[in-house]
Amino acid sequence: MPLNVGCSTLPVPQHADRKLHPANKQASTPRARFFLATISATLISLLCTLLSYSLHAAELQSSVITSALWSASSHNFKRQSYQLTLEPEFILRFENRAKLTALSRLRSISLDALSPEKVTDDAYSPYSKPLFIGNSSEFELREFYLELPSDNYYFTLGKQQVVWGKADGLKVLDIVNPQSYREFILEDFDDSRIPQWMANIETTVGEWDTQFLWIPDQSYHVLATEGGLYMPTSSLILPEPQAGVSVTVKPFKRPGRTLMDSDIGLRLSRFWKGWDLSLNYLYQYDNFALLHQRRSFTINGPHVEIEPQYRRTHVLGGSFSNAFDNWVLRGELAYFTDRYFLAEGLSDSDGITKGKEMSYVVGLDWAGLENTLISGQLFQSVALNRQSATVRDKSDSTLSLLVNHTLLNETLELRLIWLANSNIGDGLVRLRVTYEWQDNLKTWVSGDTFYGSEEGIFGQFDDNDRLTFGVELAFE
Amino acid sequence: MKLPLRVIALLSIFTTPVFAQSTVNSSEAALPTGEEVAAHINSRDEGEAVSRKLSIEMRDRRGKTRQRETMSYRKYFDGEKRTVIFYLSPKNIKDTAFLTYDYNDPKVEDNQWLYLPALRKVRRISASDRGDYFLGTDMTYEDIKLETRVSTADFNFQTLGTCDADGKPGLQIEGTPKTKEIARELGYSKTQFCVDNEIWMIRTSQFWDIKGNLLKTITISNIAQIQGIWTQQNIDVENHKTGHSTGLTFSEVDYQSPVPDDIFTTNAIKRGL
Repeated sequence: MPLNVGCSTLPVPQHADRKLHPANKQASTPRARFFLATISATLISLLCTLLSYSLHAAELQSSVITSALWSASSHNFKRQSYQLTLEPEFILRFENRAKLTALSRLRSISLDALSPEKVTDDAYSPYSKPLFIGNSSEFELREFYLELPSDNYYFTLGKQQVVWGKADGLKVLDIVNPQSYREFILEDFDDSRIPQWMANIETTVGEWDTQFLWIPDQSYHVLATEGGLYMPTSSLILPEPQAGVSVTVKPFKRPGRTLMDSDIGLRLSRFWKGWDLSLNYLYQYDNFALLHQRRSFTINGPHVEIEPQYRRTHVLGGSFSNAFDNWVLRGELAYFTDRYFLAEGLSDSDGITKGKEMSYVVGLDWAGLENTLISGQLFQSVALNRQSATVRDKSDSTLSLLVNHTLLNETLELRLIWLANSNIGDGLVRLRVTYEWQDNLKTWVSGDTFYGSEEGIFGQFDDNDRLTFGVELAFE
Repeated sequence: MKLPLRVIALLSIFTTPVFAQSTVNSSEAALPTGEEVAAHINSRDEGEAVSRKLSIEMRDRRGKTRQRETMSYRKYFDGEKRTVIFYLSPKNIKDTAFLTYDYNDPKVEDNQWLYLPALRKVRRISASDRGDYFLGTDMTYEDIKLETRVSTADFNFQTLGTCDADGKPGLQIEGTPKTKEIARELGYSKTQFCVDNEIWMIRTSQFWDIKGNLLKTITISNIAQIQGIWTQQNIDVENHKTGHSTGLTFSEVDYQSPVPDDIFTTNAIKRGL
């Protein structure tokens, strides 16, 4: 069952069980890790500087964004976290129009429950894994790619994000890169998306813009683990523990062949009679691990062994958008040929039911009021051809409402996002006020309120409502 | 980018135009009609294509300023005009880009897209958003699209008399939205502008809001011939309601270097410069 969140559709993790996440982390000391992070950042800076000289770069641009976030529980105002982030970016422009971009992120969080380390870090590929520094900090090379334009081709090679689809926040086709759910869907997608090493080649074939992706980097969705504030607990996501049944969890079974286990993507897009159209295809490992179960009887009673593993699926889809008077109509659809749902009851031997899934979103934007955008979306996921009963409903629907209004020449922004799941009746309401004091300084206050049954994707975090105050400062 | 004029309606007797307004008299009876002036403005040579840097300075009523640097391109295609603007700095808006297809056929709605780097998505914009202010400036999306032209599809124009066009006699024109719906979309109930009828460029214009209150004044200065084409290099927009103002400065204006067609695509605004 796809989880429609904050404007994102998370195919519900079939597994996210706290017991799944091995507690053993790498044994290097925090000081050593911090040292390594510093060295890495310095090396990147040095590399960019050297390249600028050696390759006759026309221009070197650099900038740093620093931000601080304070979060507190909406219920008792007890502090949830204090977070500091540093994001240096370097862009080298060469005389032949080539461009090299390097973006890294150093993040430190005061609260253990939001610790960068309290995630399913096995989901990262060895090439994309952040460097965890103690229990509270991480350093990550977020993006590092070279853009090479030529007459009819445009190559983007390296670690990057690729965003597909027309939906506003809800994720149907925006599934090329995996995502970190350490803060559920409360983090901006740009920050929570996990960049991957890939080759991105664009060209024009007739009237169609064509994009081909080769993604050898096998990273998957990252979830909060035991002790994490946003660790999933919904029975829609996790198998219900059975009384008297012992459980062991094996390490993640990851695809290990760089070439054969690569993801491949193709997108054709064009503008046709006022319509923005795309056709999309992705052959990928589902970014959520399935929790394969083996049930047995031992001398101590019934036993379940769970082995998280990743399975391939073909994804066929498309998107459209057009404007009519005050309205913009948007939509996207994705059909997954191989989906694995959590089976209901104990009749299914491995706890998993194979099927197919069709997800779609239809959205309407209305801009009839000055400097105001009101947007509504219907997201629906339909499970097809299930081999046995599943915990999720066959059809699962979520509605979203976005209201965005700007004032004072766009220095003040008010935003409301409301997500409501109609199957469970739970939801999330997000309010945010942002003020831009100067070009390089902005502050914001936001409130995130979950409601509904704890069985729901949103309701499971009903105790985690939060207020946040943030400051962002940029230097160029 | 130049001053868009979509403009306006009946001259209020309570308004005092910045430029010297004179009433139509017998000696001015032979003045060209508003529609003729609009046609002259719209047929003025703008070059087939242009590239230029555009600096935008936004000032609030307390004097606080914000500065943006952009690169913009415009090109005429068969039956349409395409414009694209790339934001280069500061960091908080860098990589934002705006693309518009403006069709000659007034019955065909324009197509507009905005690339928002925070979302990494190109967002389709309703053409009816054209009365919204463009990225914090005092120009609307429609203003940005029209540049130096006036919209004969949206306004009826009439000549009011003569005016002072930067020390020379000019023509005072008034534009009235053709329908209430157009007025509501644009946010203007009327406009008046003073046209330099030697080069058919607007020197000064004023806009009134839907309620008939003076909304903003636009002053164009530093007009010079660049590569044989009359070009405005400074535009100042003063919003009388908010006290906010925007200054636009064009530089490195180039009508001769080729502008590639594929820069006017959603892929191009996603990639940026």
